[in-house]
Amino acid sequence: MIPTGYAHLSALLDHQLAVYPEHRRYLEKRFAGASAEHLALTDELSGHVLRIAGDRIRTVCEDYKWMVGWTLDEELFFRRNGRYRLSKFADAYAEVYANTELMTRYVNGILASQIWWRNHTEVLGYFRDTFVAGNPKGFRHLEVGPGHGLFLYLAASSSDCASAEGWDISPASIAATREALLRMGNRSKIDLVEMDLARAPSRQFDSITFSEVLEHLEEPLAALKILHGLLAKGGRIFVNAPANSPMPDHLYLFRSPEEVVDMVRGAGFEVAGTMFAPPTGATLEQARKQLLSVSAVVIGTKP
Amino acid sequence: MSEIMDKVADIIRDMFEDYDGPVDGALTAEQVPDWDSLAQVKLMVAVEGEFGIRFESREINEPANVGELVEMIKKKLAKK
Repeated sequence: MIPTGYAHLSALLDHQLAVYPEHRRYLEKRFAGASAEHLALTDELSGHVLRIAGDRIRTVCEDYKWMVGWTLDEELFFRRNGRYRLSKFADAYAEVYANTELMTRYVNGILASQIWWRNHTEVLGYFRDTFVAGNPKGFRHLEVGPGHGLFLYLAASSSDCASAEGWDISPASIAATREALLRMGNRSKIDLVEMDLARAPSRQFDSITFSEVLEHLEEPLAALKILHGLLAKGGRIFVNAPANSPMPDHLYLFRSPEEVVDMVRGAGFEVAGTMFAPPTGATLEQARKQLLSVSAVVIGTKP
Repeated sequence: MSEIMDKVADIIRDMFEDYDGPVDGALTAEQVPDWDSLAQVKLMVAVEGEFGIRFESREINEPANVGELVEMIKKKLAKK
């Protein structure tokens, strides 16, 4: 059943169904059995998405529909071959990142998926209620690859956050994050820096977010080791990566959520907590059996 | 029921464990919970594996019901 009575979520649903009416069945499944707490979270996040999108909301919803169709070919390749189609960054750059129009549509689609894909919403809730809530007073925060800005906004909104930075190698991404934060009404000082992680300065942070970046890298372990060096003793890192998630620019295949946990541990972190979120309509058991995409969240520490 | 239909029915029942209605030529995706676009891809790949055939990308969403899928399989087997 499509939920009602949640102002932002209802507005976003209306926009999405106006351009993608055949998605109603999926969206009913998405919200079937959702708790009041989950719906309240989704409503809050929907408000942020509506603010980020502004008068482009119809376009964002159209691009979500486009993204769902675009990724089916990757799913077909993955199911036939048991691996992602691309493994080299140069190929992902040529096919995806160098295509400005395609990237705009992709980014819009990913933004909407934070609401429509249950696992994405649950990860945001876990981030806010478990990771950020567990950070110490005065935490210095870093996010690498802030993208749509939702995680960075939630972290910087904490009254315990002393400072927040977002790093990205792409100036276009930095610009998009800046715009998103402005539209969400962020009042905190967040430094957005064009940065190649491989050339990161010697800095220390108490809290690091690394969400849906690992699977885009040829050498994800190397990136995690750099982040280990950036994390202060006693600090915490929030790593989020999907297992079995064929997308056109996914290079590194995690075949189970446990492989994400093992890699975080392999980079030198101690594992303080995990959360595995299956996709809409599936239990974790069903997702494992059918090799459906599972969001794997790991909270790592540096004692 | 033909042998092809029997095998397709087995694949469908295995994929959609919560569906206990009839599986026949008239069955459509709309009648089965969880038979969405992703499930359609999985189903067609499973059919490819079962029968040793290959669908073009554009054929993945072509069959309107199970009966049309069976006909597509027959045509591809006849060409082998």
